[in-house]
Amino acid sequence: MPPKAPKGEYIETDTGNKISRRSQIHGTQHIILGGKTVIQSDAVIRGDLYRSPTSTSTSTTSSSSTSTTNPSANPTHPQPAPSVAITIGRYSYISRQAILRPPSRLHRGVYSFYPLKIGDHVFVGERAVVEAATVGNHVHIGKEAVIGSMAILKDFAYVLDGAVVAPGMVVPSWCVVGGAPARIVGEVGEGVVGR
Amino acid sequence: MSRPFPYTYISCPCANTPVPDPSKKRRSRESPQKSNPDQPKPLVPIDDEDEAFDPRSPRANFSLYPPEQLLYCEDCHQIKCPRCITEEIVCWYCPNCLFETPSSMVRSEGNRCARNCFNCPSCTAPLSVSTLENVVVGGTSQQGPWVLSCGYCMWSTLDIGIKFDKPTNIRTQLSKLTEATPVRSRQMSRTFGELKSPLSTYSSIDEHFPPPGETNTKPEDSPEQPTIPLNSDARFNALKNFYKTQISATSSSPTDPLGMDFGAGFSSPGALNRIMSLYTSSSRLSSLYGGANKKPKTRPPVMREALTASEGLKIPAPDAEEALIQRIAGPDCGWDGLASLEQRSFQSPDARFVEDLLPLPVLLRTKRSKRCKSCKHILVKPELKPQSTRFRIRLIALSYIPLPTLRPLNPGPHAAAVLPTPAGSTAPTTSTSTTLTNLDALSPLRPIQLLLTLKNHMFDPVRVTLATPSVTPGRVASKVTILCPQFDIGANSDVWDEALQGAAAATPAPGTATATATATTTPSTDPRGSRSGGLGVYEKVAEAGKVWDKGRNWTTVVLEVVPGTLPGGVRPSKTKKYPVHDNEPDTTTTNTNKNNNNNKKKAHNASDSDNDDDEDDNDSDSSADLPALDWTGQADDPGQKLQPDEDVLEIPVFVHMEWDSENQIDNEQAVGRSSGDTVKRELAYWMVLGVGRIVQ
Repeated sequence: MPPKAPKGEYIETDTGNKISRRSQIHGTQHIILGGKTVIQSDAVIRGDLYRSPTSTSTSTTSSSSTSTTNPSANPTHPQPAPSVAITIGRYSYISRQAILRPPSRLHRGVYSFYPLKIGDHVFVGERAVVEAATVGNHVHIGKEAVIGSMAILKDFAYVLDGAVVAPGMVVPSWCVVGGAPARIVGEVGEGVVGR
Repeated sequence: MSRPFPYTYISCPCANTPVPDPSKKRRSRESPQKSNPDQPKPLVPIDDEDEAFDPRSPRANFSLYPPEQLLYCEDCHQIKCPRCITEEIVCWYCPNCLFETPSSMVRSEGNRCARNCFNCPSCTAPLSVSTLENVVVGGTSQQGPWVLSCGYCMWSTLDIGIKFDKPTNIRTQLSKLTEATPVRSRQMSRTFGELKSPLSTYSSIDEHFPPPGETNTKPEDSPEQPTIPLNSDARFNALKNFYKTQISATSSSPTDPLGMDFGAGFSSPGALNRIMSLYTSSSRLSSLYGGANKKPKTRPPVMREALTASEGLKIPAPDAEEALIQRIAGPDCGWDGLASLEQRSFQSPDARFVEDLLPLPVLLRTKRSKRCKSCKHILVKPELKPQSTRFRIRLIALSYIPLPTLRPLNPGPHAAAVLPTPAGSTAPTTSTSTTLTNLDALSPLRPIQLLLTLKNHMFDPVRVTLATPSVTPGRVASKVTILCPQFDIGANSDVWDEALQGAAAATPAPGTATATATATTTPSTDPRGSRSGGLGVYEKVAEAGKVWDKGRNWTTVVLEVVPGTLPGGVRPSKTKKYPVHDNEPDTTTTNTNKNNNNNKKKAHNASDSDNDDDEDDNDSDSSADLPALDWTGQADDPGQKLQPDEDVLEIPVFVHMEWDSENQIDNEQAVGRSSGDTVKRELAYWMVLGVGRIVQ
């Protein structure tokens, strides 16, 4: 099969995002792309897993969200300003078959999703699964890496291929993590941003 | 540290400086730079310039670094690798909560986070504080006792029977809980009430048991519960105190000011004399071999060992080992009940079972500033705050030396490798010459062309001369030709200037004209910017003596490489049946995630097994050929043996660069000159291009 992509594989948005037509993006109204971001084919972005809106009374919140573990199942409350599920900064790159999924957690008996924020110049490798709460700028996520729920990757963090970052883990800046479960195995050289 | 192909390493010249005499070494390093800092001598010594750098030599391991790890000393005018710098700790911080720990607290807290940060003792993943009970009563939720739980392996402190009353200050709570276990904790444990790092007790001295029965202060322990009167931390401190008093008591000079501390007591002049006298007495010519007439002049006072439990002595119960073995063999322990060696290495030495594992407070990390070893100038100084990623000073090599990037030049009409390839292309295809070059499986004697891009970060144009041995060193001799060894790289300029000047500033390179004219900031500053030129670039044919492509501050030249044949002989059946294992590594940005990131050995083994698998799949009759290429190193013929990573095609390239730089103010030579004066500078170094792996 010739590797040449067919014409018009990518949709380019006004802000310069290039999104493959064959990517699977759910809940587009809950996704913000900063611009100049590339989303390759077969990438899955789950914007539909947004946090169920915390309305005025707590009782309705608890009742509604306990009943819906998957908020995408009930689009019953069309909010005028939909809550953001996934934010991706500029110049980020989502490789093929990567999965971006908002983190979730059981908090006070309520299972809810939290927004996933991805910064600028972030690279997400092929078949990586990202459920982080925050991914800073200039973060590299290797292929087939798994970022657990509510993990935080600070700026310039580097996740090696195949690493499994445990849920809730914090990777400090400049740190290289690898292995399963991921540990800090080194530091990125200072010269990495000089380019 | 191995990287996916293609990679570029730069050799720090420090490995070539002779090492035998440290004083000489220091002189040879410092004096030429101090005498004429304006004239940087070639980094490689003159006598070494004749011979090519061998990336396979054992020394090369210590000098090759990826370019982003290198620093540059502006005073020495030299590349500085992690071996030519010294580090100073700027601050300590917990990598989990990112709080700074003041340096005064670091030691008392055992280099570990004193807050709520713990690692799982079972799998090292971070533990999270979670509540056990969650009863929503009315509007308020009642939260019960708290535990530390691991989100990775589902371990929790419930496994060791620990619950916490409140979700804060877990470490003090935990230390109280673990301190309460000893039966008879005496005043020792009160003074060392805080849980110290379990690591600090690891190299404990409880291997040195005195003969049992010598003392009768043995604690009465139940055999199946080998608890100790002092817990290991308190015992360590008791022993430390005991030895301290022993040293001060037996020290020949009681007024030794250094005798106060434990370590310094041994290095005191008295102790040194004692040791030295051992050698001086025997080094007499008459008594070279004999201790015959060697008489101890002054017998040093004998230090005794700890005798009582209060001094830190621990005598295990006579059947303690038996009980342990019984417990290990018992049905309720099993393999899963035993703590692994890896787990035990971070625990107290008595921890044998999974139930003994305690949560590990997270080890602190440091931010460090870096100095040049020879001239002591600061090269890197990060900001103090742990969360900050900024630097006050950062002199990195890449602002001085051009950043080399390598990628294969794919001939043929399907050369749009830079475009994302569809997922289906991972299916095995027979690699014909028109398809992409798989750098993990280069076929011998088939020429490939590579694009080497050098990107200049200085604000001065640079003239670069590349040199490479025509045949790579080593047994696998690959032929290398740089089609254009001498070229210029334009000066770096401010991106904003460029953008404001518009397309006029852009170098009219045929392929990249579209990219730069649109004033998109990234492609023009990107060394890979030429790929935005699209297919037009790839229809060119490499010509000798001409640069391939050129941008504002980068230049691309073509390397022609003929991979050599492996010494393992020829396997005739296997030349073109290699499936493309992976997607083609196309450019430097994307291939970092596409190739194996593991170390070379691993990749080597992986490809090895792959090859064998393919062989079994494809040719049923080729099993007889398998020993022809012996990976195990057990072949009879040493010529057949392929050393590890000998099949990796690495090209040493000597880079010599010249540029006119503005005089720096801090140079002493600059005094009296006008600031507009330019100084001719040059810099030379070896770099190694890792092209790929040759397969049979």
